[in-house]
Amino acid sequence: MKNRNVVFLVLSLLLLVTGCAGKREINELAIVMAVGIDKGDEGNVRVTAQIPRPSDARGQTGAPSGQTGDAIWSVSAEGKTIFEAIRNLGRFSPRRIFWAHNFIIVINEEFAKTGIQDVIDFFTRNPELRMNTWVAVTPDKAIEVVTTITGLEVIPGEAVDKLLRYSAITSQAPRTTMRNLYSSYLSEGSDPVLTRVKLVEKGISNKDPGKMKVKQVELAGAGIFKNDKLIGVLEGDEVRGLIPFIERLESVILSVSCPKDQSENVSLELRHQNFKITPGYEDGKPTFHVKLVSYSSIAEADCPISLKDKKQVDDMEKELEELLYNDIKKIVDKVQNEYKADILRLGEEFNNKYPSEWKQLKADWSERLQDAKIDIEVDANIKNSVLLYNPTKSN
Amino acid sequence: MPDELELKLTSTFTYDIQSNITLIREILGHSVDLVQRDFVFHQEKQIRGVLFYTDGLIDKEEINKALKTLINRSEEIMRSCIGAPMGDELTENIKTYLLNNASVNQSNKVQDAIDGILSGDTAIIIDRTEQVIILTSRGADARSIDEPQTEQVVRGPRDGFTENIRTNTALVRRRIRDPRFRVDSMKIGKKSKTDVNIAYLNGTAKEGLVDEVKKRLARIEIDAVIDSGYIEELIEDAPFSPFTTVQSTERPDKVASSIFEGRVAIFVDNSPFVLTAPAYFWQFLQASDDYYSRYMSGTFFRLMRYIAFILSLTLPSLYVLLISFHQEMIPTPLALTIASGREVIPFPVLLEALIMEISFELMREAGLRMPKPVGQAVSIVGSLVIGQAAVQAGVVSPFMVIIVALTGIASFAIPNYGASFSIRLIRFPLLIASGTLGLLGFASMFTIIAIHALSLRSFGEAYLSPATPFKPSDQKDFLIRMPWWRMDTNAQLAEGEQYRLGEHQVPSPPPKEVDKEDDKGQKPPEKKKSKNDGDAQSSKQSLVKIRRKKRKWGQKDEK
Repeated sequence: MKNRNVVFLVLSLLLLVTGCAGKREINELAIVMAVGIDKGDEGNVRVTAQIPRPSDARGQTGAPSGQTGDAIWSVSAEGKTIFEAIRNLGRFSPRRIFWAHNFIIVINEEFAKTGIQDVIDFFTRNPELRMNTWVAVTPDKAIEVVTTITGLEVIPGEAVDKLLRYSAITSQAPRTTMRNLYSSYLSEGSDPVLTRVKLVEKGISNKDPGKMKVKQVELAGAGIFKNDKLIGVLEGDEVRGLIPFIERLESVILSVSCPKDQSENVSLELRHQNFKITPGYEDGKPTFHVKLVSYSSIAEADCPISLKDKKQVDDMEKELEELLYNDIKKIVDKVQNEYKADILRLGEEFNNKYPSEWKQLKADWSERLQDAKIDIEVDANIKNSVLLYNPTKSN
Repeated sequence: MPDELELKLTSTFTYDIQSNITLIREILGHSVDLVQRDFVFHQEKQIRGVLFYTDGLIDKEEINKALKTLINRSEEIMRSCIGAPMGDELTENIKTYLLNNASVNQSNKVQDAIDGILSGDTAIIIDRTEQVIILTSRGADARSIDEPQTEQVVRGPRDGFTENIRTNTALVRRRIRDPRFRVDSMKIGKKSKTDVNIAYLNGTAKEGLVDEVKKRLARIEIDAVIDSGYIEELIEDAPFSPFTTVQSTERPDKVASSIFEGRVAIFVDNSPFVLTAPAYFWQFLQASDDYYSRYMSGTFFRLMRYIAFILSLTLPSLYVLLISFHQEMIPTPLALTIASGREVIPFPVLLEALIMEISFELMREAGLRMPKPVGQAVSIVGSLVIGQAAVQAGVVSPFMVIIVALTGIASFAIPNYGASFSIRLIRFPLLIASGTLGLLGFASMFTIIAIHALSLRSFGEAYLSPATPFKPSDQKDFLIRMPWWRMDTNAQLAEGEQYRLGEHQVPSPPPKEVDKEDDKGQKPPEKKKSKNDGDAQSSKQSLVKIRRKKRKWGQKDEK
């Protein structure tokens, strides 16, 4: 019994020996919400971190909170590598920089053109960083994007996060996380695409009503990469053709003209889609059959229209098909002729169906892709007029 | 001196009344509550008698009655005796012909007489006989049957055990009218000579269990037993464990159902807490209400109690480890909220948690023993100090107050006080381990506790049963409480008959054919008649089915 007590005592003393190794309390951390990466001086990297000040970000009853300062505090530092720059952030930050809650990584396009391999490596190597962080490129200075107060949320990082989360409504940019970036970077059958954000003067200050002078972050297309280098960008409207290839095209609003009166418009909301890529292999050349079946409903009609009238519906469907066909065609042409980077992940599709042929083709896939025959088929259906089955105004 | 006393106690009475009186006086001394009542049993033959009893323990009415017959009717017995009535014959005759009290014994041992006097019996010493008549006249004032203070129910019986052991066994006996119900007696405590009763259902309690309980009780050598807590600590399986392996309860319905399940109950005189063994850990989370309210609500509240158990065990530790080690596991908005609450707190979170836990336990302890009017003041001061002032002063964070309050409420939701205390105890090592080593510490301490609990046994039964070892048929009454019409088999612990329900106990409407006749819109009396016919028919049908099943039943029954 005595022996057992001694063992127990030693075991419980062991707990004290650890000295709370690795312990850092939540109020001793600088929780990063957004990171910006820019080119610095003399080939350096400039890293900017957006850090909320908890007492200002949350009005706390009881605790004497600031309530006077800003909700965020941003710091920026340079270094030869990203990690060195982050270490240099410690020169200004009284608290330990903590990355796990980071929402978004914004990369300046100038920086991205020289390659983002260091970004991919650092942000996937570090266990504190999450793979579901958004990654975006921007034509503006990343330092500016990260330090701009934007959105309805107290913390701008959170606002951008939500902007991306509900971006499906506009389909102005693909949503890309670190995991997407990493997998398409590693994959031989695809090249990375990143969200593109931009600062625009769209916000209206309360002090200066009626004038859009406050800068806001806007989703603005996509950045096209080959390997780890930015080779081109797509503007917002061009992205619509790209989105079915990498995620789902839903909730997009498209306008077609009224069948009877070409000057008026009908807005259609894409509700549901079936998208299928069927790879083929003919005479040593890959072929692809891309089929998009979309179902949409009428969101707004500026002219009297009823689903009962088949002719009208057919006209609208035809116009919608044309619209969608052109979107996809445009992006396919750009990929085949301009970028020569497989951002549509056609290589992966081909690999899935023809693994042995893929082995021969993969070495010079970007050239093969140019020769590939890609035919596009679009089938648009208008199925639903929501609550109004008959037009509001009868003809 | 003790040797001398021992000698006197083991001696026997003599035929001389005077020496018998002196013997008792020498043993018991001249305590004020020891009453000696001299009387003359027979005038002519000059037979004296004397009564000894302890004032306060007796029922005066019984003694008055006995005294009346002894003095007035002594003639009758003398007439019936041939020659000089002496010795055993005299006392035997008194016992048989005179005393009309319910319980009368005789003995010539000093020990028996002294024990009797001290436990409220009356010793009647008559001249010319060495036999002493011991008249049961116990009638000490006792608390009446009240609602139990510690285990109250919303629905269910409201009687609770009292300090009187006989009342207590009767409360259980009223619920078990089975001839196989046994109550065995024992005396424990050299000086206190406390009555201890062991109650069980013969044939249902596992073979050897009763013997084991008796063996453990017989092993006890102690001067005094004041409460059943003494016995519990002296017979439990794991004396070094924070877990209680014997259940104690104030509720006779709980004891009765435990006995039906094959457990043994230990009653201790002067204690309203009755012990039942063996005990499973999970039964401490089960309340009587579960069985009395409908099965859906019973199951729901039982699940709530399991949640309460998990919360009260782990919540502060999880909070501490998340805040001080694993901030990445908190959702971002919540992390910011917590961080802003902790902004001005001067203490590390582990210390903050310990401060709050200790102040909460202090409040609970203070409130427990306070006289009722003062108790209110304690709760006001406590809620002001730890609820508001501490947060406003920036000493503790509002989140910590929520955590500690939730933990406290959760621990009160555990119906058994002893079990809730043991859970509160093991919370502290968990808290310290997770505050120093994070999730790693929490996991290892939890594993240690789990292994320890797994190793425990209570009177030969695995403590964590029926979870581990898994007993399929006992799952009916473990996490969920099955409806009564589904609890068809007895607990695995119980021996003997296996089925506790007949066939088709689910209430259901009578067969369809009867309804068709009803629909024809006949007069009410005829309608009633046809319904009765239908009932008879259906009961006939079900009877056949039961008979078919009965063979299986009967076999088990005979055992």
